[in-house]
Amino acid sequence: MITQVESPILEIHDLTVSYDQSPVLWNVDLSLPVGKLIGILGPNGAGKSTLIKAIMGLVPVTSGYVKIFDRELKEVRSRISYVPQRESVDWNFPASVLDVVMMGTYGKLGLFHRPGKKEKKIAMDCLKKVGMQSFVDRQISELSGGQQQRVFIARALAQEADLYLMDEPFAGVDMATETAIFQLLQEMTAAGKTVIVVHHDIHSAMNYFDWIIMLNLHLVASGPKADVVTEELLRKTYGGKLNLLTKVTDIIRQKDFNPLKN
Amino acid sequence: MSFDQNAFLIIFTASIISISCGLLGVFMMLRKMSMTGDAISHAVLPGIVIGFFVSGSQRGLEVIIGAGILGILATLIIDWLKNKAKVQLDASIGITFTLLFAIGIILINMLAYKVDLDQECVLYGEIAYLPIDLWITNSGFSMGPRITYLAVLNLVLVTAFIFLLYKELTLTSFDENFGLVIGLPAGAINLALMSMVSYTTVSSFEAVGAILVVALLVVPPATAFLWTKKLTSLIKLTCALGIFIAIAGYYMAYLVDSSIAGMMVAVGGLIFLGSALFKSIKPKLVFGTSSPNKPLEI
Amino acid sequence: MSDFVYFFTFQDSSIAYVVIGITLLGIGSAYVGTYSFLDKKALLGDAISHAVLPGICLGFMLAGEKNPIYIVTGAFLSGALATFLTSWLKSNTRLSDDAIIASILSIFFGFGVVLLTVIQKSGNPEMAGLNQFIFGNAIAILEEDLYIYGGLAMLIIITLSVFRKEFAMLVFNADFGKSIGYPMGAIRLIFNVLMILAVVIGIQAIGVVLMAALLIAPGASARFWTDKLSRLLLIAGAFSAVSGILGTYVSFVIPQMPTGPWVVVFLSTFAFASFLFAPKKGVLSRFIARRYYLKKTHQDHLLKAIYHGIEKGKSSFPIEEIYESFPYKKRKSKQTIDSLVKLDLLINNQGFIDFTPKGKSEAKRIVRLHRLWELYLNEYMNIAPDHVHDSAEKLEHILTPELEALLENRLNYPKLDPHQETIPRDNDEL
Repeated sequence: MITQVESPILEIHDLTVSYDQSPVLWNVDLSLPVGKLIGILGPNGAGKSTLIKAIMGLVPVTSGYVKIFDRELKEVRSRISYVPQRESVDWNFPASVLDVVMMGTYGKLGLFHRPGKKEKKIAMDCLKKVGMQSFVDRQISELSGGQQQRVFIARALAQEADLYLMDEPFAGVDMATETAIFQLLQEMTAAGKTVIVVHHDIHSAMNYFDWIIMLNLHLVASGPKADVVTEELLRKTYGGKLNLLTKVTDIIRQKDFNPLKN
Repeated sequence: MSFDQNAFLIIFTASIISISCGLLGVFMMLRKMSMTGDAISHAVLPGIVIGFFVSGSQRGLEVIIGAGILGILATLIIDWLKNKAKVQLDASIGITFTLLFAIGIILINMLAYKVDLDQECVLYGEIAYLPIDLWITNSGFSMGPRITYLAVLNLVLVTAFIFLLYKELTLTSFDENFGLVIGLPAGAINLALMSMVSYTTVSSFEAVGAILVVALLVVPPATAFLWTKKLTSLIKLTCALGIFIAIAGYYMAYLVDSSIAGMMVAVGGLIFLGSALFKSIKPKLVFGTSSPNKPLEI
Repeated sequence: MSDFVYFFTFQDSSIAYVVIGITLLGIGSAYVGTYSFLDKKALLGDAISHAVLPGICLGFMLAGEKNPIYIVTGAFLSGALATFLTSWLKSNTRLSDDAIIASILSIFFGFGVVLLTVIQKSGNPEMAGLNQFIFGNAIAILEEDLYIYGGLAMLIIITLSVFRKEFAMLVFNADFGKSIGYPMGAIRLIFNVLMILAVVIGIQAIGVVLMAALLIAPGASARFWTDKLSRLLLIAGAFSAVSGILGTYVSFVIPQMPTGPWVVVFLSTFAFASFLFAPKKGVLSRFIARRYYLKKTHQDHLLKAIYHGIEKGKSSFPIEEIYESFPYKKRKSKQTIDSLVKLDLLINNQGFIDFTPKGKSEAKRIVRLHRLWELYLNEYMNIAPDHVHDSAEKLEHILTPELEALLENRLNYPKLDPHQETIPRDNDEL
């Protein structure tokens, strides 16, 4: 069940990614609509994080390509925002909440230029949007998980982009924070932004997302949630007839080279 | 007590060197690259020797260029070993720096007829000779100790580097992926940092020795990190520690009649270990945070 | 040449001592270092090498001379303190591992330098030998030294060989070992002791700074040749011993050359040679495997292309048409056709290409696999028919006959693929 879209904001064509001679993503082919809240679901190791990283150009692609706003990544970087996984950073780093959020403005500032009043105002506004304005000078090592997550989102907001990619923003976060963040995301999509989120929980996904992508090494489904969340597709995503595929993956690993490389 | 000009010069120069190393060291520590810094300060040795050989003296620009090239080479080799040859990071660092250092020692021996580098001097320098080693211009005018000028120049360049690229360095040290995503040239910034470390190593090796440069790169920032969680405080405290170490190191070395550089490190080490011990007993004391703990606030 | 003979026939007993010494020492370090490497704590050895210096100096100062017992004990205590502090700092501060190791390394070395310069200035004539601890000089290993240091080296080698199981557990899965009742704390302690001992003996040959190479390089190199621990240790030991002997030989032939750096040069040669040329894991090997794979892929694609043409009714192919099927790859296609002709799969009749019987059945096999895969991917993986082609092209090259049979079974021996083309069987006629 893969629905394609006319004039998509994001288009992925035959994307294959491999880590260390093992394929992690196979032949992903999809297109995504503007202004929707899109969720990516799948079991552990399905390649969800890899998909986001591949779109952001953080991992090398074995074959296929990605087009954003119908252009290549490097032309439109300033219009895309990224929220990485919370554990990808050492939160012991000596920075304040404001410092981190201001980092979102550095892309537009350019090399050597110092952030000024304008950047500070943007950062403060973004902190307000995530409800963290009273934490401005707090050291990030003193924050709870939910607060850290909100800081990351505020940083992404400070990039002032049109497309937002978020990797597991709700992992290990309390209910209040989760609800608050989803509300924010829905406000953003109402304002015309597109938000793509890697998520881990099917049930909340049904409530929050407009469009759902189901991934398990390959693309199982991509489309409006009502069409996509069926029992059969869930089975194909989370369990099911993939033993042959796993066998092939094992062979590839054993033979120590990857036939899926160009 | 009359003003001892020699002592002042030595302490002043040692402080400058400590500050240069400390500033770079803060960022190396934050990037978890302290051991890479250690590797680079060993790896520059062949570059120094070749530069010395080419220019005929250790005063030349060639030495600095040689060191810079070798610092970059070392960084590239470590990267190649880790990413292309798929060797563990710690082994990549260990193999690279020992090989380059070994080549350096061999070159010193082979080129001894033209290169007057003493193995021991390379390792731990001798800053006590500083006041005698003067920069004499062509007209015969004595400008003061040569090493001091080199150290000041080094400090100016390091400070300029960090000032200009402050936000880039901070961002890539905190979250390199994010930096790549917003289009920062993270790889180039890293190489630039390594080059500055190489340059600082060679600029300082005559005074404190290549190996003790590592101590000045690593120990003051690590000590400061025990006391504060704010980056600006971290930098200031590192500099302050550097100056204190220079002063205390000089006088203690005088008392005990030992190497000044070695004593500086020993003093720094005592402060470091003392701080760690103190903090483990009394953890609540910190400088520079904004507000007291509010555990129930959401 | 006469030097070579003189050296290697051990006519001089002192040379024999040196060679035995360096071999034992090298193997001991290699063994300890290999475990350390597997534990991903390779640079801890570097830290310990620097950290033993103050202990050595103190030992010397207390004894008033280069007494091995005092020196080894001093070094040992110093190294032990450094190891202890490293773990303590890890548990009690927020500092990262690399900062802790780098700090301990340089602080202890700084203390060492202080003591060393104090000794130098005291004018004690015995101290000339102390420098040897920093820079190393294997050539100077004396007979009496050999008994102590050689003995210690043997101790290390024997302990690590006999208790391989326990140390392997320490390095690979300490928690598991603890849960099944092994005394992991004690094992860790013994390992640290062995490590410090290895360092103390090793730095006399190779010096403080370069000791890390003696610990890290053999294991890292051996890792590229085998996955089995026993073989790893053997290969590492061999690399180390050979490098040690060669380095010593160079120092013997060119007297002003210190031994340490040359040993490191040989160790590094083994290391880089392993990284580049080891079968399977080496850079070159991986490169060749990929090249082979790409070549085979192109061969298969070519055979398939010809087969498809024959299915549509052509009898033989002008070579130009084949070039056209693979745009921008003309030279590669030509090479491939030549290889296939050599393999007796194709015949080149003055610019017209045709199958040999062998070639025809091989092509049939490849086409069958390809179409089976397309069917599978379409049915079970929801990949649209026009995209199935690429994946199948890539996957078919690694299918074994067993998998092929499994696939046929799964799909229930189908006749047609997603493009509605026939799936050929062996006895089908074209």
